[in-house]
Amino acid sequence: MNQLDTLLLISLITALISGLGRRHQLIGWATAILLTVQFLALLSISSLGYGGTVIESAVNLTILGQPLSWRFDGLSWFFALITIGAAMASSFFAAGIWAKKYKKHGGNPGLLQFAMSLNVFTMLVLLASGDLLSLFIGWELVSWASLLLMVLAGGIATQWGLRYIVYATAGAMSILAGIGIIYHLTGSFAYADLAAAASTFSTTHVVVLSLLFIAGFGVKMGLLPFHLWQAGAYAETPGPGSAFLGAISSRMGLYAMLIVVFQLIGLGKMIAVEIPFTFLSLRDLLMWVAAFTIIFPTYTALRQNDARYLLAWHGIGQGGYMMMGLLLLDPVGSAGGLLHVFNYATNQAALFLAITAVVYRTHTADLNRLGGLVNRMPLTFLVLLVGIIGLAGIPPMNGFVSKWLIYRSLIIEGMPLLFVATVIGTLGTILSVYKLIHNTFLGQLRLEHEHIREVPWSMLAPMLVVATIIFITGFMPGLVLDWVASAQAALGFTPLAYTLGGVETARGSLDMIWLCGVLFGGFGVGALLFYGGGNKAKRVHQLDNYAGGHFLTADTRYHYSNNFYAGLMHHIGGWYRGTFKWLESSLISIVSLLSGLTQILFHSYHPALFLLITATLSLYFFIG
Amino acid sequence: MSNTDLSNIEVNQKPVAKRSNPFANVFNELVSFCRSRSMFMLHYCTGCGAIELPPAMTSRFDMERLGIQPMVTPRQADILLITGYVSIKTLKRVILTYEQMGAPKYVIGICSCTVNGGMYWQSYATAKKLDEYIPVDLYIAGCMPRPEAVIEGLQQLMAKIKTDEANSWKKYYEHYDYYLGNQQHLFGNNWQTPTDIIGEAKTYQLEGPNTLGEHTKILESVQRPLEPLEMKL
Repeated sequence: MNQLDTLLLISLITALISGLGRRHQLIGWATAILLTVQFLALLSISSLGYGGTVIESAVNLTILGQPLSWRFDGLSWFFALITIGAAMASSFFAAGIWAKKYKKHGGNPGLLQFAMSLNVFTMLVLLASGDLLSLFIGWELVSWASLLLMVLAGGIATQWGLRYIVYATAGAMSILAGIGIIYHLTGSFAYADLAAAASTFSTTHVVVLSLLFIAGFGVKMGLLPFHLWQAGAYAETPGPGSAFLGAISSRMGLYAMLIVVFQLIGLGKMIAVEIPFTFLSLRDLLMWVAAFTIIFPTYTALRQNDARYLLAWHGIGQGGYMMMGLLLLDPVGSAGGLLHVFNYATNQAALFLAITAVVYRTHTADLNRLGGLVNRMPLTFLVLLVGIIGLAGIPPMNGFVSKWLIYRSLIIEGMPLLFVATVIGTLGTILSVYKLIHNTFLGQLRLEHEHIREVPWSMLAPMLVVATIIFITGFMPGLVLDWVASAQAALGFTPLAYTLGGVETARGSLDMIWLCGVLFGGFGVGALLFYGGGNKAKRVHQLDNYAGGHFLTADTRYHYSNNFYAGLMHHIGGWYRGTFKWLESSLISIVSLLSGLTQILFHSYHPALFLLITATLSLYFFIG
Repeated sequence: MSNTDLSNIEVNQKPVAKRSNPFANVFNELVSFCRSRSMFMLHYCTGCGAIELPPAMTSRFDMERLGIQPMVTPRQADILLITGYVSIKTLKRVILTYEQMGAPKYVIGICSCTVNGGMYWQSYATAKKLDEYIPVDLYIAGCMPRPEAVIEGLQQLMAKIKTDEANSWKKYYEHYDYYLGNQQHLFGNNWQTPTDIIGEAKTYQLEGPNTLGEHTKILESVQRPLEPLEMKL
């Protein structure tokens, strides 16, 4: 039993303990501490993050003559680090006072902790998978475990959860078909055999396999057009749960895609596949899918009036950046894509936790019913501010570094249109995160929020820790680029040449330490002038404010939050046509129509005839 | 209305001392110079005088070459331009706006109406002399003054600021009772603005013997305090 087995065992024990003791009062803290132990166990194999060799699990099973194996490499370690980190932050957040209130409102905090720890365990199993069969088993475990987390809240969450599982099952079928074809072609489920045989695959095989796998794994990632389930399913999960899901859950799709499509089938072959009657290769097509995955969900987020939905829609959009970076295949772009997985996870965890803190105090996430909370919850505001700066990709937070790498790579590789597409996506991100912070924390405090206070420290501490991580990894991205480089090496990419402050290449360098120095130097000079050179400051009342000379009163709202960006929507509002929703609902109608027709045929028309037809067709299918 | 006329009272003027050291006031003079050269102007366009401002601001006469720019909020503005007759309803807003400006602040009354009511002398609804309600640094008379006159007036104001003579904003704090009395006379005793002028007078250390008086007592008795809204952790 080696260190990897220890990690998986601790993870299993965590899930079991929190499952069995889910009614106990202290189970939240117990789970959080056990997750910390998992984290330490993960750190004990941290050599993987610094270019260490693959660790094979000692557990080997054979099912129906097929060996199942598990192993950890740099990529698995990188994703596991984010998984356990996100789970720790969410679990500590949920363990303390938040749980009491959640319980009072009819929730079961122990069940939430159990669902999270189960998710962590299943994700680790998926990340550790060493062949296609164990990958598929891990994949299904992750799918069902995340369903448990999604339907916890009941009500509308159950509907979203069911919608998710329909998508996930369809995706799993697609993956299963892909694995079936591979088994047919190679006679084995092992990664090595697939990698060896992949060079002999015909173009048709490459196209079919990559489409099957990308569709299957893309469902989990929320890749266009399989994204419709995600926002609602993540947003309706109880607060810390959605922070965890939002941070890492859909990245499992990316991980599996990286392993199977990028590493084993080989993305290089996709460049060679030209799509007839276009100028595009298969990879270009995927890049455009990634670009639209950035743009459409981001601009959908812009229209959301629920903070949780807004963030969840961003989760889909940011997945597009990761995909885009990795599809670029060069050291800079793939490093940007992988780094964005980490950066985005930290940002999303901070943002969801901050919004959960707001909901904890105000009982609403409706952006039209909030405002002015900065005076009441300044530290939560700070966390949200750090989070949105990171999510929008603005220095000095970490999101800037990964997006910079992706932009840089798009320019170096000579893809100006895709570059513009990603920039349009970033514009949407900036606009919508501004809406988020403006409508919740800035502007006029509502009368009913006059007496609320900052959230307790048990909730603040995890938020502040995550916010600190966002800043530190933005200030010194080299800390994460270490792990990214070994993940790149595990994937077979050329690792990026990096420094502590960023990257140094012949075609453009980035040094965040300098950048932060200049930025804070500028702020420092301003602050010195403002606080040192001016008169004594006098704080004025919020209603002592200018609105064209009006006398302001607290009962009238001057906070401009409803129909935010009306001017922008005047120009782009007509482009929101709900095409994907229409597509989804027409698919549903077709399926239900077909099933209805079959039922009529079977039940009332000619049952015997129908039975005969079915039997003949089945016989033909199986024998012929 | 109070009988005292404050328009000629000089406030807080330091006696002009013979300067032995030529560098004694270098820093103060530098601050005054800089202050006079960068001014943001909030134009409260009340009457017909407003129409003369666009040419004064735009390319023909170009106020900005003097360092004067329009500003949208009183918090960042230095000059308040009142460009015409001030009805009583408007005057409330003018006072509110004036009080929200950060010191040092300067008021310019443009057109005859701000000086003496002008052609609205007989109107029941118009304030006649602006400087009974807020201290005015400079009047630009005329019906209406042309942009050249406006620019000329602004240059005079700049000269006054440079020599540290434009101190009317101090007058408002030092003689708040007088101004408040006139305001109460016009608007009734329930009159109040959100800005805490007495508190500001203390902050600026401009609280004089005439800051408080009978009128501020009335204000105290009717004032509904705004609820405190501090930063708290």
